[in-house]
Amino acid sequence: MTAERLSGMRNKALIAGAAALAVTAAGMAANPDQFWRSYLLGFLYWAGVPVGCLALLMLHHLVGGGWGIVIRRTLEAGTRTLPLVAVLILPVLMNIPRLYLWAQPDKVAHDELLKHKAPYLNTPFFLGRTAFYFAVWMALAWLLNKYSDGQEKSQSDGTWKPKLQLVSGLGLLLYGLTATFASVDWVMSLDPHWFSTIYGVMFMVGGALTAMSFVIVVMSRLVRSEPMAALMKPNHFHDLGNLMFAFVMLWAYVSFSQYLIIWSGNLPEEIPWYLHRFHGAWGYVAVALLLFHFALPFVLLLLRTIKRKAQVLAAVAIGMLIMRLVDMAWVVTPSFHGEHISLHWMDVTAPVGIGGLWVAFFLTQLSRRTLEPVEAHLLEGGH
Amino acid sequence: MEHDEQQPSKAVDTEYEVIEPGHSYRSVTDHISAIVLTRKTPKTWLIGFGVSFMVLSLLLMSLGGLLVKGIGLWGVNQPVGWGFDIINFVWWIGIGHAGTLISAILLLLRQDWRTSINRFAEAMTLFAVACAGIYPVFHTGRPWLAYWLFPYPNTMGTWPQVLSPLVWDVFAVSTYATVSALFWYVGMIPDLATLRDRARAKGAKIFYGMLAMGWRGSARHWARYETASLLLAGLATPLVISVHTVVSFDFAVGIIPGWHATIFPPYFVAGAIFAGFAMVLTLSIPLRVFYKLEDFITNRHLDNMAKVMLATGLIVGYGYMMETFMAWYSGNPYESFLMKNRFSGPYMWFYWALITCNVLAPQILWWRRFRRNVTMLFVVSIIVSIGMWLERFIIIPVSLHRDFLPSSWGMYWPTSWDWMTFIGTLGLFASLMFIFLRLLPMISIFEMRTIVPPAEGRSKE
Repeated sequence: MTAERLSGMRNKALIAGAAALAVTAAGMAANPDQFWRSYLLGFLYWAGVPVGCLALLMLHHLVGGGWGIVIRRTLEAGTRTLPLVAVLILPVLMNIPRLYLWAQPDKVAHDELLKHKAPYLNTPFFLGRTAFYFAVWMALAWLLNKYSDGQEKSQSDGTWKPKLQLVSGLGLLLYGLTATFASVDWVMSLDPHWFSTIYGVMFMVGGALTAMSFVIVVMSRLVRSEPMAALMKPNHFHDLGNLMFAFVMLWAYVSFSQYLIIWSGNLPEEIPWYLHRFHGAWGYVAVALLLFHFALPFVLLLLRTIKRKAQVLAAVAIGMLIMRLVDMAWVVTPSFHGEHISLHWMDVTAPVGIGGLWVAFFLTQLSRRTLEPVEAHLLEGGH
Repeated sequence: MEHDEQQPSKAVDTEYEVIEPGHSYRSVTDHISAIVLTRKTPKTWLIGFGVSFMVLSLLLMSLGGLLVKGIGLWGVNQPVGWGFDIINFVWWIGIGHAGTLISAILLLLRQDWRTSINRFAEAMTLFAVACAGIYPVFHTGRPWLAYWLFPYPNTMGTWPQVLSPLVWDVFAVSTYATVSALFWYVGMIPDLATLRDRARAKGAKIFYGMLAMGWRGSARHWARYETASLLLAGLATPLVISVHTVVSFDFAVGIIPGWHATIFPPYFVAGAIFAGFAMVLTLSIPLRVFYKLEDFITNRHLDNMAKVMLATGLIVGYGYMMETFMAWYSGNPYESFLMKNRFSGPYMWFYWALITCNVLAPQILWWRRFRRNVTMLFVVSIIVSIGMWLERFIIIPVSLHRDFLPSSWGMYWPTSWDWMTFIGTLGLFASLMFIFLRLLPMISIFEMRTIVPPAEGRSKE
């Protein structure tokens, strides 16, 4: 049943993704610059999910808890999509000068600041760093999946659990470093003059929130049939909802901290980032983020009744996934256009296209292994 | 690093209990209440309290001198207007955070290992906040007018500048002190009633009786109690984050190089928890030996606290790394000069000592062998406390002493009055801690009883 359901969903995702990508490809002929900008937006959004899954999985191995046991298979499937994400970034890497100001020699030649940053912001080093990030993430994903298999086959925790914990402890350290510099490289350097020390934290929290919301949606579908129907209880969704709540709060906390500090300093080297993002229609987007990325989910996720009902919680998570894309667009797009809002229809079709492919690949990975959690025996009877 | 193959799994299991086997409800109550009620005041307590009280008198002397002469006695002047006063304020406030984290967040996360350490960690929070509060109030120069900091309708037509983070501090810290005191006291009421019922001396009966506020342990009392402590935990949880965030705004909202960094809020909060857990370890390791509490504060507690310290220490290290990287990446000459000045300026030894204490030393906690070595943990916890003090020194005077204009550079050295005040607050903290240990149950009796395995609890009743 579950297998059929999964393959049905996969086909739908694949069709939607292929259709959206086909439309977007048609747009490429008309407006290649916009195509690559929209593609980058879609890539950044979806890359956050598997990397966020990786972080949540390692966090679970370190701190334990029933919430992690029930979603472990989903998180593991998410981490196994990293090879696809590595393939998806290749087109971006082939169009660096089109997207990044610092890769245009004529611009750099007349810009002291860009010359100063050239030892870091240059194409070969950028490529090398990106390769390194993916190498680290895929190695961690591979080890975690391998040890998890070992744990399942041996049916004992004795040798595998310490290994999983060791990889997770060191892995979270490596994740913190690679995810931070990936966000600096891929996103912050779109505005090559601007900088903020909290940027990496903002991206890590944002990615974890996207991943958590995605996982909640997946679990709300899996819980409709066995084996998850028997295993997952309302209290598990309650815990997942609490985690999502925590990430919503963390996102608001780091976003507000960055805003307050830059606003109060009002320095010419920092404030343009916000001036562009508060000007004109972007200002309404900023208010929408405050209301629907923070205030509304904050209130909804305070309510027990919402968190304990899988399908209702999933509706909140879907809303969150949409707002995550709006947030990503608000952060990324003004870097190309300054203060003029110029959302293109490809800014919607490209994320949908990439998302369709990614979700289909994710569902394939999910259906390859049993859904029965590795440590299902540790789950207590819930309420 | 995490594995330990030689250890048979049985041994690992027993070592990882939150309470050692063999305890019953009665033995828990007897053991903890006896420290306060029946045992004679130990000689070591008298010596410890006496020494702490003498050190406390240093504080009274230094503050007395300050009131007579004014803050010219301190080393602060142009260009370094914030010195020991703010360093020690931030240091003490930070230490308090572990208490709130243990009592509020770990309660909400249903972590049973918090049970035996929450009471004295909360006491530590209160006493640390008391020490911290002294500094800004006396730095105003006229502490008797400190109430001007609050917005109240007055005939002077003055109003605090609400855009200043220093005013946010007034609210953050006073809320923190109030909620922490309430949480601590409410949490103690059932135990105070136990002491009232067990006390033999008349004075003790009256003392604990008044504090217990008529607690009879009825079902209704307990139901209300549970609700109240959950609500207080909910109230205290944002405080763990907000207080040190506001403290970080004291600096980050300005535009001084070294202060104006967006990473400051989360990095300050992590640093506060880091310093706080170091202090809890520094206190609990000798306590459990002197009062023979190894059964209650087990190796599992020490191990978990060491892990929290390692994790928060890594976040603090991440903060240092991002500051350094962005100082270069920003291309801002003042920021990169500040970094160079930290690395090789007149205070470079402070900086490298800070890196050694806060980044390098805690790395040994990756190994379980060291997390289980009590002496080693004690040493690391003291190193971390020193490191976190150095961090505030690096952030405050070192950022101020050489800012934009080389002609207005200068050095900052604390005077003997500064040192007397700082050492004096250590005496205040220790004195309050000794009084707490003597008069109040340092471990929550009724909560410890909830983690006694039920079968054992009953079999020995």
